[in-house]
Amino acid sequence: MSHLTVAVSEAAVRKSVEVLVEAVKWEKQDSKDFGRFSAGYHVKGHLEGGAVDLRADNTIEIKELDIKWDKLQVTLGLDIPEICVGGGCINLPWPLPDICLPRVCVFSGDPDISISPDFAAFVAQEISFIGSVEARYFDMTVPPPPGFDPCGFLNSVLSGTGVLPDPPTTNQWQIFVDPETVDIDLFDFADIVGDLIEDALTAAVTAIIPGGWVRDLVLAIIGGIADLIRFILDIPDEIDEWLSDLFNVSFGLLDFLVQIVLELFGNCVPIYAIDDPFEVLPAKVSNDVLLSGAPVTLVPVKVPIADLSVMVDDTELVVRADVGA
Amino acid sequence: MAFTDHSDLFGSVHEDGVNLVVRHLMRQRPSLFNYATPAFHARPDLFCQPIEAAKSVKDAGNPLFTEQEPLPIFGTPFPVGINFCLQLVDARIDFHPQDVPLPPELGELPPQRFSLMAAACAGIDCPSEEVIAGLLPWIERELLAQQKLAVGKVEESRGGKDVGRSQTGALGVTGAPPRRLVGVRPDVALQPAVLDERPPRGTVVLPTRRIECFCLEVYTVGHFEWGAVPGSEQAWLKTKLDGVEIVDLGPERLEASIECYVATVLRLGILPQVMVPLEKLVLDITKVLAEQGLQVGKQVTLGPSPAPGDVPNNPAVEDDMIKAFGKLTVTDGGA
Repeated sequence: MSHLTVAVSEAAVRKSVEVLVEAVKWEKQDSKDFGRFSAGYHVKGHLEGGAVDLRADNTIEIKELDIKWDKLQVTLGLDIPEICVGGGCINLPWPLPDICLPRVCVFSGDPDISISPDFAAFVAQEISFIGSVEARYFDMTVPPPPGFDPCGFLNSVLSGTGVLPDPPTTNQWQIFVDPETVDIDLFDFADIVGDLIEDALTAAVTAIIPGGWVRDLVLAIIGGIADLIRFILDIPDEIDEWLSDLFNVSFGLLDFLVQIVLELFGNCVPIYAIDDPFEVLPAKVSNDVLLSGAPVTLVPVKVPIADLSVMVDDTELVVRADVGA
Repeated sequence: MAFTDHSDLFGSVHEDGVNLVVRHLMRQRPSLFNYATPAFHARPDLFCQPIEAAKSVKDAGNPLFTEQEPLPIFGTPFPVGINFCLQLVDARIDFHPQDVPLPPELGELPPQRFSLMAAACAGIDCPSEEVIAGLLPWIERELLAQQKLAVGKVEESRGGKDVGRSQTGALGVTGAPPRRLVGVRPDVALQPAVLDERPPRGTVVLPTRRIECFCLEVYTVGHFEWGAVPGSEQAWLKTKLDGVEIVDLGPERLEASIECYVATVLRLGILPQVMVPLEKLVLDITKVLAEQGLQVGKQVTLGPSPAPGDVPNNPAVEDDMIKAFGKLTVTDGGA
C-alpha cells in the first residue's frame, strides 16, 4: 500500500479543465515587409468548450476544444508600381495654342493602399487531443541526451519569456500529459474571406485612380485591377489558400498555436512537479536553541519521495507515492 | 471500487508514511526533540539515547539539542544547578486496525481511532559524595555570611579562608546568571575549577560524570474530526484526544496526576497547533495552477465531503490509513 494516495474524479478533472480553459487567453501582433506588399496581423483569442474524458487506457482525451478569436485582423499594404499618363504637348500651328495633356501619376505612395479587415467572425479552430499521463523522474545529475534535445531546446528558447517556468534546480518528480495525437485545424480561411480580401483591395485600388480618361488609360495599361492584385501578391490559385499560407507559414502562427497547446499539455512541460526531496519544514533562524540567544540557522527538513506514479482509468486519476527512507 | 466513488477528491496517508516523516523530522531537526544543559555539547555520550542526526545537520553545525538552564538546587545561598537532559526518542502513530499493542488501561483500539506512542527519556545528574562534600563548606560559609540560618542571627567574624580550598578542586565551576552564560564555554561545567573566597557570580553547575536516566512510554488514543476555527471560513481537521496512559509509573495517584497534566497539555497546548485545513491535505488546484504561472479567474476551493451524507466518515481512520474525502467547488472571483 502506498504511503500517499491522491485521487481526482473525472468530474473534478472536468471542473478543473473548465477553469483552465477559461483562464487561457492570448494576444499577439506582428508585421512584415515583403517588398511589393506588406502584411501584418493582430490576433487575440481565448479557448472555449472542450469535453474531457478519462479513458481506461491511461489516457486523457480532450475533444473539440475551440480556439475562439476575439480579433483576427489582417493588414495588407500594396506598393503598386507608379503609373503616369499624360504630360505631353501637341504643337499646333500659330495662332492655335499648343494642346498639353496634364500629367497624372497614380500609385505613387508606399504603400499605395492599406486595408485592415478583421476576420474574427469567420475563422475558428478546433483542437482534439489524446495524451497519456505519466510520471517521470528528473535527475539533475543525469546529462541531457546526446544529439538534439527538444525539451532543452524549448527551454532555451522560451527561458525567461514567462511562457515556461524556469528549469528545475533540484531533482523532481514530474507528471506529464504526453500528447499521443493532437489534431489542430489550420488557418483554413473560407472562400468568403478570400472574396472579402479581394473586394476590399479592388475597392481600395479603384478609389485612388482618378476617373475619366485617366482611369481608362490606367486600366488599359494594367489590364484590370484584379489581375494587378494577383500579380503583385503572387497569388497562384485561390486567395483564401494564399491567405492560409501567409498565416501558417510566413507568420508561423500555426507554430504559435501548437506552442500554446504544448505549453499546456506538452511533452516537455510537466503539468505538476514536486521536488525530491520535498521540503516539509523550511530553513529557520532560531534564537531559542542556544541559551545565549545567538541566532542559529536550522537546516530545512526534507523528505525523500519515492516511486511516484500516476494512473488514469475511466473514473479517476490517481497519484501514488512513498516516503523514502 | 474507485477511490472517488462518493467524492471529487480523495487523499490518504498510510501510517508507515507518517512514521517515516516523523523519523526524518527527528533526524533533521533534532533540537525539537532533545533538550539538555550546555554541558552535553562536550559530553554527548551522557545522553540517555544517542542522537541520530542527518548529515545535513552536522554539516551545517546545527545544535543537536535545545539548550536548557541547569536544574536549580533550591535553598542554596547562591545559584547552584545540575545538568539534565530530556529526549523524545520515539514516536509512532498507528491507525486502525491496531498494530501497536496498547496498555490494558486503554483497551483495544476502536474503529476510526488512532494511537500515538511516544517514548521519552530523561536524565538528571546525581552529584557524587565527593562533589557534595567539596561544595558544602562554601554553602555553609555563604549562609553564615548572609545570615540565613534557621537558628537566627549569629554574631561571629567571618573566617575560613582555608575552608574548602583543598576540597574544591573537584567541584564544578561558575556559570552565569540565567540566560547570561556569556563568556562561559558550554563544556566548562565538566572542567574542574577552584572556587575562591568570593561568592560565585553565576550559577555553579556541578560537574557531571554520570547521568541517571529513566524512560517512559506514553500512549494516547485519539480521533480526527472536522470543525470550525474562529476567524477562518474553511473547515479544519482537528485532532481530539480520547485517552492517555503512562506505562509503569507509580504510585497510582502520581500516575493519574501526571496523565491528567499530559492530557491537558495535549488538549490545550499541542493539538490545537496541529489542526490542518483540508486543502493542505489533498490538492490545491488554484495553487498548482499558480505555480505553473497560470492565474485563473475562478476561485477553486476544497471542502470536506459531507459525512455521513456522501461518505460514512470524513476523515476516515481505517486500513492503517487516514483518508480524507473532498468536494471541489468552483466559484467566481478568483485570482
